Amino acid sequence: MVNLRRYTLVRNLVLLWVTGVILAAFLLDIPRINILEHTARNLYFHVPMWFTMMAAVFVSAYHSFQVLRSDDLVRDIRALQAARVGAFFGILGLVTGIVWSKYTWYVGTDVWWNFDPRQSMVSLQLLIYGAYFVLRGALDDPSKRARIAAVYNLFAATTTPFLLYVIPRQMDSLHPGAEGNPAFSEITHPVMRLVFYPAIIGFIGLFWVLYTQRVRTALLKLRTTHDPEL
Amino acid sequence: MSLSLTLLTDIQDQAAQSTAYDSIWAGGAVPTQEYSGLEQVMLAHDKLYVVLAVVLIIWFGIVILLLRNDARLKAVERTIEERGIRSDDGL
Repeated sequence: MVNLRRYTLVRNLVLLWVTGVILAAFLLDIPRINILEHTARNLYFHVPMWFTMMAAVFVSAYHSFQVLRSDDLVRDIRALQAARVGAFFGILGLVTGIVWSKYTWYVGTDVWWNFDPRQSMVSLQLLIYGAYFVLRGALDDPSKRARIAAVYNLFAATTTPFLLYVIPRQMDSLHPGAEGNPAFSEITHPVMRLVFYPAIIGFIGLFWVLYTQRVRTALLKLRTTHDPEL
Repeated sequence: MSLSLTLLTDIQDQAAQSTAYDSIWAGGAVPTQEYSGLEQVMLAHDKLYVVLAVVLIIWFGIVILLLRNDARLKAVERTIEERGIRSDDGL
């Protein structure tokens, strides 16, 4: 079910890789931009959270699709755990974004949350995934649960790109990449790309490790109690 | 009159020189109050502590997930122990 040798190898590589990313994130000198100052370094941490969540959404949707094709309960376990760890990274992305915005967009005010379209839409998206977990809890029969949850999960996955990328970019937002604000590609210095792309790879690797860990536990639970829900 | 004209040109100059990010703010009346205690800490060293806060949030998030995973694993281990399932029972 899970290739343990590959898991251990990838885990060790990921831990080394992310350590290197964190060191580079703090040690490499970056150009200072007004208002952003050193917080530009959050590009290496906040933005990969969303890339990772997007990757998790793809993995989860792929396994839900396979549930509908094959009725395989192991696919259902994988879909659930990918969504769980994906939502975890989404929450981290949202919270780190709130902290970042407090000291840039909202500096000198008491504002922490101002219903910026980007933040509102991702909150909505996380609620859609919250409903997926609640829906699963409401169904008792494992194979019925797997199929119904898979259909809902495919719906949740299709809403994600719209709520994350399409709608916020049509609206006035302080977030980069929105109407009236330059996107990553227009403003990012080459030195920062040198850390940013490896950071994305590192955090997606971290997702894979955490996700595989949970799949292993869920499989063990399935074999002992015939109920894989974690 | 000349004073307000100078002010206006100043603001326009700032807007022209500023980078993409602060073009929204330059010239606009941004309500800025005295920095609170927390802000004074977070804005020190060119806002470096904001990055520290973000890294710590991610780190503690991972710690919480790790502890939760451990709790789940412990529950499964307890089930196995209670039932006395041995390693040759197909586990």
